[in-house]
Formats: sequence, structure tokens, C-alpha cells
Amino acid sequence: MEKPKEKNNRLEVWIAILIALVSLTTALATWRTASLGSKAGDLIYQGLLNAVKRQAAANEDWRQAYADAGYARDYLVNLDSLIVQENSTDPASQEQAAQLRTYLLPGMESLATPLGTDPSYLTPQGWLNVQKRFDELEAQSSNLSSLDPLASFSLADTYFSEQRWLVVGTILIAISLFWLGLSQLSHLRSRILILVLGVIVYGIGLVWSLGVEFVFFILRGGVL
Amino acid sequence: MNKSDISNPERGKTLVLVLILLNTVLVAAISALQVDANIRANQANRDSQYDAVQFTGSLIQAGAQSDYDLNTYAMLLTNSQEALVAEYSAMQRQTANDQQGFETLTLESQIFQARADRVKSLSFLMTDPAYAPASDQMAPNITGYLSDLQTYSQELVQKQNNASDAYHRWNNKSDSYVAVLTVLAVAFFLLGIAQMAQPSLRLLFSLFAIGVISIGILWTLILLIF
Repeated sequence: MEKPKEKNNRLEVWIAILIALVSLTTALATWRTASLGSKAGDLIYQGLLNAVKRQAAANEDWRQAYADAGYARDYLVNLDSLIVQENSTDPASQEQAAQLRTYLLPGMESLATPLGTDPSYLTPQGWLNVQKRFDELEAQSSNLSSLDPLASFSLADTYFSEQRWLVVGTILIAISLFWLGLSQLSHLRSRILILVLGVIVYGIGLVWSLGVEFVFFILRGGVL
Repeated sequence: MNKSDISNPERGKTLVLVLILLNTVLVAAISALQVDANIRANQANRDSQYDAVQFTGSLIQAGAQSDYDLNTYAMLLTNSQEALVAEYSAMQRQTANDQQGFETLTLESQIFQARADRVKSLSFLMTDPAYAPASDQMAPNITGYLSDLQTYSQELVQKQNNASDAYHRWNNKSDSYVAVLTVLAVAFFLLGIAQMAQPSLRLLFSLFAIGVISIGILWTLILLIF
């Protein structure tokens, strides 16, 4: 029959092995929790950079759209005054109009294209549709305007959510490590009880952490 | 060492064990709260910066738009006035029997009027029912137009300020939770000493640990409520 002291020594070895295993799991879970926070931080950083780039492109497009509108307005105004001159009975004025049409108007027209030359840019109310021009400019700079910072932020939020839930698992595993350490220091009678408690908490923590990983892996469409 | 210490060296160890369990659970819960507060601070910080970027864009767009609309309106005023002045001058020349002067100035008036008519049709301020004047003698509602133009920017500023406030609030909470965790670490130390000490000292260290744990709990409750 095995002596109680030998039995105790064997249990101590098993507890030591368990402590090593749980320590390793704690380290892994802590690393994963920290790396999730880091991934979320990287995505936020990327999203903010994209937001600045996209906004800078939009600012430039708005500036360009209103500059185009200004050219179009000046062209249309000059065109109308030119028509009055052309239709006048004064030969000097007609001559001046002909010169303006030859030398001034083509340059103005090229600057005013397309807002001032294409009637589709006029709204039913009569003013120039600057929004339409802006949308076109945005489409032309699609490499910047298509940047989607909100998509980065949304993905960062999934990493933050996973981090929140994984912290619970990490804490459970850390608690189990504490109980296993305590069982190593305790006497035989209470040792078994504390050991069982530690193993149960470790099991719950491990299953929880793996479950959280699996659920978020699926939610992100197969991305860790 | 007194007699009771010699007769029962294990006295009070169960109490210490229960306190260690309680402290462990508290540390675990507060760690989770700290992580959550940190995440919320990060999200609010991000929202604040994103709103600030959008705000600058909104200001630039509103600036470009008001610049164009007000310039268009100024062109309308200038050309209308020029047309009117030329028309009056033509009438003066007619009264003075200066037919050539009358015709020249009439043509000039027509040119300015054609320009004014075109600018008026292109002017958002003169054609949009929200701002257009009720009659030709009245001015458009420029105050209302400028106020409406700034509405979105002001909303963004408010949103950005709220996010910034939230960031500071959660960041402070996160820092405070770290301080609470430090307090509870002190409790762990005291309980460790209690476990190793003689039974008479064990109770004293346990009481110190209870005091420190109570401070930690109270602090956490204050953080949760406010």
C-alpha cells in the first residue's frame, strides 16, 4: 500500500506540471489579449490616416468644384452681354463683340467646361449644380475618395469586443493559476479541494477563451 | 508566543483564505473594468479625432460655398447698379438732346442688365425660396443663409467635443482602476504576510488587509457610480 507521504509527493509533481501548463496558457491568453488591443489600435491609426487623406481630397474637390462654378458663371455672364452687343445696331459695339467672341470667349469657355457649357449642370431652379461637379471630381480621384475609414473603425471595434470577452477568459485562467499555486502550498486534505477548484476554473477559462476566439473568427469572416 | 498560538497554529488561516479568494475575485473584476474603460477611451479618442477631421472639411466646404454665393450676389448688385446708372445717364443725355450719347448709354445699360439677369438666375440666394427676397426691392436672407451653412459644422463641433469629453472621462476611469488594482495588490501582500505570521499577528494583518480591500471596493463603487 502506498504511504501518504509518497502519495503527497506524487500529487505535488502533478500540481507542478499543471501549474506549468496553466502558466503557459495564461501567458498565451495575455499575449492574445494584448495583440487584439494592438490590432485594434493599428486599424484606428490606419482609419484616421485614411480619414485625413480622404478629407484632404474632398477639400480639394470642393475647392475645384467652386472654382469651376466661378469660371462657368463668368463665362455665361460675359456670353449674355456679348449677345446684347452683337444684336445691337451700333457697328462699333458689334465689332467689339466679334473681337471678344474670337479672342476672349474661347479661353473662358475652356475654363468653364463642363459646368458652363453643358445644360445638364443647371438645376431646375437655374443655379449651377456644384454638387454634381463635386461628385464627378470625387469619382476621378477614387483612389482617395474610396478610402473607407469607417470600415477600419468597424473592424477595430470587433477586435475591441473580442478583447473585452477574452479578458474574462484570461482572468479565469489567472485565477486558476492562483488556486493551483495555493494547492501546492496547502496540506493534503485541503489541497485536493483547492486543486479541483483550480482545475475547474482553468477548464472554464480555457473553454471560454477558445469559444470567444472561434466566434470572432467566424464573425470576421475567417480572419484571426 | 502565547498559549493559544502554540495549541492551534492554524487558527485564522481559513479567514485569510476567504479574504484571498475575495481579493482575487475583486482583482479579476476590476481588471476587466479597467480593460473596458481603456477600450472605451480609445474609441472616444478615435471618434474625437475623426470628427475633428470632418469638421475641418465641413468648414472648407462652407467657406468655398459662401464665397461663391456671396460673390455671385455681389456681381448681381454691381451689374444692376451699373445698368440703372447707365439708364439714368441715357435719359439725361436724351433730355440734353444728345442722341448718340443716349444710344451709347442705353446699349451700355442693356449690356449690364443682361449680365445682371444672368447672374440673378445663377444666384442661389436670389432663387432658393428659403432665402430669396419677396420683392426686387428687398435683399435676400443672407443671415439665415450663413446660419444654415454653419449648422452642420456646429453639429460636428458639438459631436467632437462630446467625444473628447468621453475620452477624458474614460481615460481617467482607466487610470483610477489601475490605482485600485495597486491598492488590492497591497492587500494581497498583507494577506500573504498574515498567512505566514503567528495566529495572534495573523488577525492583525487580516484586519489591515480588510481595511485596504474596503478602500478598494469603495473606490470602485465611486468610479462605477460617477
